[in-house]
Amino acid sequence: MKKYMGNKLAIFLFIVPALAIFIAFDFVPIIQVFAYSFTDWNGLTIPNFTGLENYIELFSDRVFFTSNRNQLIFAIIITVYQMFFATVFAITISDKKMKGRKFLRVAYFIPVILSVTVVCQLWAAILSGDGLLNKLVQLFNSDFKQNWLGDRYKAIYVIAFVNAWQWMGYQFALIVAGIKSIPSDYYEAARIDGCSNVKAHTKITIPLLAETYKFCLIISLTGGIKAFTEMNILTGGGPNKSTFTLTYMMYNAAFKKSDYGYGLAAASIMVLECMLVMLVINFIFRDKDQRKEEEKSRRKRGA
Amino acid sequence: MKKKIISALACMTVAATSLVGCTGSSAPADTPAPAEAQTETPAAETKTEETKTETTTSGDKVTLSIYTQYADDDTKVPYDYAVEQLKEAYPNVELNLIVQAQDDGQTLKTLAATGQLPDIYQASTDLINTFRESNQIMVLNDVAQSTGFLDKLYDANKDLAYAEDGNIYAFPFSGQEYVLWYYNKALFEENGLEVPKTYDDLLNCIEVFKGKGITPLALFGQEGWNTAAAFDVIATRYATGGIKALDEGSASVTDEGYVEAAKMMEKLVAAGLYQDDATTTNYDQASEKFLSGEAAMFINGQWYIEDATKALGDNVDWMFYPAADETSYEAGKAAFSGGGSASGFAVNPDSENAALAAEVAEFITEKYCEAKVMYRHNPLVALDTGKEPDSEYPAMMKKLSDTLPTITSTTKFTWGLTNSTFNDAIQSESQGLVSGQFTADEFVENVADAQ
Repeated sequence: MKKYMGNKLAIFLFIVPALAIFIAFDFVPIIQVFAYSFTDWNGLTIPNFTGLENYIELFSDRVFFTSNRNQLIFAIIITVYQMFFATVFAITISDKKMKGRKFLRVAYFIPVILSVTVVCQLWAAILSGDGLLNKLVQLFNSDFKQNWLGDRYKAIYVIAFVNAWQWMGYQFALIVAGIKSIPSDYYEAARIDGCSNVKAHTKITIPLLAETYKFCLIISLTGGIKAFTEMNILTGGGPNKSTFTLTYMMYNAAFKKSDYGYGLAAASIMVLECMLVMLVINFIFRDKDQRKEEEKSRRKRGA
Repeated sequence: MKKKIISALACMTVAATSLVGCTGSSAPADTPAPAEAQTETPAAETKTEETKTETTTSGDKVTLSIYTQYADDDTKVPYDYAVEQLKEAYPNVELNLIVQAQDDGQTLKTLAATGQLPDIYQASTDLINTFRESNQIMVLNDVAQSTGFLDKLYDANKDLAYAEDGNIYAFPFSGQEYVLWYYNKALFEENGLEVPKTYDDLLNCIEVFKGKGITPLALFGQEGWNTAAAFDVIATRYATGGIKALDEGSASVTDEGYVEAAKMMEKLVAAGLYQDDATTTNYDQASEKFLSGEAAMFINGQWYIEDATKALGDNVDWMFYPAADETSYEAGKAAFSGGGSASGFAVNPDSENAALAAEVAEFITEKYCEAKVMYRHNPLVALDTGKEPDSEYPAMMKKLSDTLPTITSTTKFTWGLTNSTFNDAIQSESQGLVSGQFTADEFVENVADAQ
């Protein structure tokens, strides 16, 4: 291995393709997004530099605050729902004595393989004014009929639920894989010590899944910040932009108003928010060695 | 050493093969992309007409790509008719249809940004203005002159052909169009109701229909233009300029008439004029409600006459928009919401066959008008085709034709508005009013910001 890692040319050549693709398709476009956000541009002509004008306009736009609030609600709901249910279901089906675990494993994952459009159409039919949900509600309480997707304040919660419902299976699969990688010796030892099932999972399973949870947290939080498809299909961002997110603001500015500069200013803020979330998560989940080193260096500085 | 050389060579091979997919096409950037490439654009499905032929200018088969609507009878019938006619008039020309996506021009703008615009495309006012700035739309003044297009244009539609700078960028096929307030005659009669002339009458109708479990007016508020039209039919009762005057800046939404209109709309929404989930209802759902008798009224363009008549026969008609009082109602009969717009078939100036594409665009426009008159019973087209419908005009169309001479003012549909910021605002803010969760004051304040 040492000999292999010593071959600098091989390392360089193996890195180059991925690096080139990353630079061409990720890094350069992100830089362009930031650059064009300081311009007045319709996407086709030569952009005019306008300084911070787009950002000043953005920060005084009521839709910007609505979008950020929606992203936060969306991210929190999908994170809590997905991680909680994915953990419960994964632990449940990891019990080898449980009957029907193979069926459940497939059933929980099925929504993930469906197209977002199909899932949204399905839920749109259920949630419409005369849809299944309102019909069911009417059976019990005729006054509780709701305008699930047309409500200015509630619609975002409903949209977040649809997303959480669909993608829970993805996190479920990750956690199941994580649980499988935990050696069974730990559980045997815990059982010998008289540990209950619940305690075994809280003291062994969950702590050992820290890395998996870190990944799950990143994908659900950044997924919340980038949310767009569900609102586009279910509500069209309405009523009156009350289910907008920054991605929707970007889309609306670019393709409805031909104002790419403004749209890219919204996109830049979104990129920064995603990066901030990742930094915070990495900080929270930094490993013990890293923490010890940080403590040591702090003490040294103190001495 | 040998191992090092072999491993280095292996690595280089892996790197080279990985990067092969990243290389661009060898075709020069300014040549139009092949039709197949264009058909793979997102959200645009394609219907390939027969086999693709080589594009040449030597009299051999020429394939022109065309980006246009092909979704319902109103768009399919004219296109199919134009293709049939084209085979006879231009036997060497074949069309490769790229079906227009309902995406606010996103696909077309993306194609323009990547230099892959189709040879002929259906352009709205907004797109014409955008592509004018980037020189991606052909000036058609000479073609309009040489083909006799200008001579065939109805006088009332002359303005529709010209953009703000006085040039022709698109051949319009639609003439002046109108927002009609349709109603189910049978439902009104069954419930002992007269056609409402005033808002008080309308409020009474709402109460009666709601009491019977009938939706008073089915709106497809998922589409912003429909909610904007719903506001415009009220606004024109107070200020004849409607949303057109707001778009042009000749009126302000803070003017008394518009404020009153917003407040009236708020009142009607609170009374239950539209269905509760109007803002998430699409056209198919709203139309189904109206045609099945679940809703008593419907707001749509005059192009809906054919479909409404087919489904409801003599039980459907359109009414003049209700107003604050009978005097305003009578006076308002001459002011309609809707109008024409400078949109139609445009040509990509960078097309290999731009001159031929321009001729074909003009030809197709003419054939669209013919098909609309003959098979869609819609005489409101841009050109005088000299054709007659294959059967009698529906009663509603006759009534509209009789009314046309008395119309003194029209406004615009949202696709004819020129201020894109205002256009975006009026669509979303009127949707807010329809939802019943935004006040008239919020509406006025937010639209004023966008003006």
